[in-house]
Amino acid sequence: MSSRRAVPRSCGQPVSGLCLVLLLVAASSATAQSGADGVEADRLSAVSRLSDWAAGGWQLGQGGSGPVWSVAASAEVRLPDTSAAMARGRPASSLPVAWGGRQGAGVGGSQSGSGMPNSSFSGYMDFHFNNREHEDPVVDFHRFVLLFTHSFSDRVRFVSELELEHSLVGEDAEGELELEQAYIDFLVTRELNFRAGMLLVPMGIINERHEPPVFHGVERPFVDDVILPTTWFDAGAGIHGEIGQGLRYRTYVMAPLDASGFTADQGIRDGRQKGAESTVRNIATTGRVEYVGLPGLWTGASFWRGKTGFAFPRIESRVTVGEVDARYRVGELEARAQYAHVWLDGMGELNRALRFANQPGANIAREIRGFYVEASYFVLPNPAPLEAAVFVRYENFDTQYRMPTGFQRLQQFDRDAWVVGFSYYPDPDVVLKLDYSVVRNQSGVIDEPNALNVGLGWWF
Amino acid sequence: MHTDARCVTVFVVFAVLSAMLPGAVATQERQVVEMVAERFTFTPSRLEVSVGTTVEIHIRSQDTDHGFHLVNGPNVIVPKRRQGEAVVLFDAEVPGVYQFECSKLCGAGHNFMKGEIVVTAGDDAS
Repeated sequence: MSSRRAVPRSCGQPVSGLCLVLLLVAASSATAQSGADGVEADRLSAVSRLSDWAAGGWQLGQGGSGPVWSVAASAEVRLPDTSAAMARGRPASSLPVAWGGRQGAGVGGSQSGSGMPNSSFSGYMDFHFNNREHEDPVVDFHRFVLLFTHSFSDRVRFVSELELEHSLVGEDAEGELELEQAYIDFLVTRELNFRAGMLLVPMGIINERHEPPVFHGVERPFVDDVILPTTWFDAGAGIHGEIGQGLRYRTYVMAPLDASGFTADQGIRDGRQKGAESTVRNIATTGRVEYVGLPGLWTGASFWRGKTGFAFPRIESRVTVGEVDARYRVGELEARAQYAHVWLDGMGELNRALRFANQPGANIAREIRGFYVEASYFVLPNPAPLEAAVFVRYENFDTQYRMPTGFQRLQQFDRDAWVVGFSYYPDPDVVLKLDYSVVRNQSGVIDEPNALNVGLGWWF
Repeated sequence: MHTDARCVTVFVVFAVLSAMLPGAVATQERQVVEMVAERFTFTPSRLEVSVGTTVEIHIRSQDTDHGFHLVNGPNVIVPKRRQGEAVVLFDAEVPGVYQFECSKLCGAGHNFMKGEIVVTAGDDAS
């Protein structure tokens, strides 16, 4: 058991960092106006304090020369009496330059002031076999994702996620190479932090938490595909933090959706600009509030709102998304539920414009919505490799829920699905999945294929 | 009479010393906290304790490896689900706010995973 000393880092004044920045700006402004030596000295002092903050050394709310308090703290890892587990647990402080295999990867060659490595990488992979009715079965290396992070200091951190989908990119290839995340976090206090770059939209259960071992089913829920367009990301900036016991928020301004990509069957999915020279004549706002203060319970609500019609300047179109979700785990049983509703203004005009522009089938709804409920149970609640769960999920999703005046609903896009399956964990970070999905729609003519899916996913 | 006064004096001194003795040799109050680490939160994420308390935090993961790093303090790996626990002992000696965070990259929301221990001066901790 090691023992070290810790010092308090914050006195709970969330606006202190912002005040510091304002102080710096004010100091610079004052210098420009007066040029007095005293003001210049103040400005230099503010610069010095900002530098201290960035290095993690300045204690917010106390000033640079506040008292340094200390308490004794120590840590250890206790493991079950199994040889497999004994090999895994260890105090991080006893490890060399980087933990988790990062040293061998050639990164993390130096450490931040906290004793942790400056740089690290992780990743996850998704390998699928899909057998849909009336189609040839396919194998697909669906996702190959690498996460790179770097800590410039305890306060300033970089996070990125680079994803290769469907393994091959190029002409006549299905694949995509996407930069899903690449942002800098400026960590000020627990209550208030700043973030800018390529961001994940804080929406729903899956969009920000999509590593294969953390959800059941080979493919993500249909609702998180055709109603909420996961993985939903774009360029933006905003704030995030946690208040009190488990009340968390994040809110960003982001590049808006592009209405010219909306469709009748996939809703807003193809309207994502993905940070690729995204048009920002208008900006969108998004946010999420979630409560995670009780063991086993996660609840959240999210929104998105922004104008979308920049490709059609004369059409006033706007998208509003509202979403609520919850997860609850008791013992080996877990339940999940999510509801999402999308309001699309100006779709009548947009449909007419698209039809005029050689898209005769344009039939975008003015409201789309979907929900799902899922229950899962660990039937083998043992340490891996003797760990497995079963699940069942019901989904209902309709991309033609309400139509603009003069447009008819396409019944085949009012769908529901039952998905049942099995997840086996040879390691908590490796999952073998099997599921079968039965999908139905309201059309009496067009059939929706069922599917058998097998997947292997892992995180490292 | 003289003997009675001496006995009273000895009794008073003994009583005073007895009253002082528990405070002089008392061990710190110990508080055990069960904490769950999961992408991307610690539950509970905020602990309030009074000065003089030793907090014994038992941290178990519900998914992958996490790290529990008390800023400017110890850093420990929290083993994967069902594979053990990390135990952190924290002696609350001085009032203040002590931040902790996940120190092992655990996914897209890794930077959200943090919390704090609030050490209060009086008995108003909850």
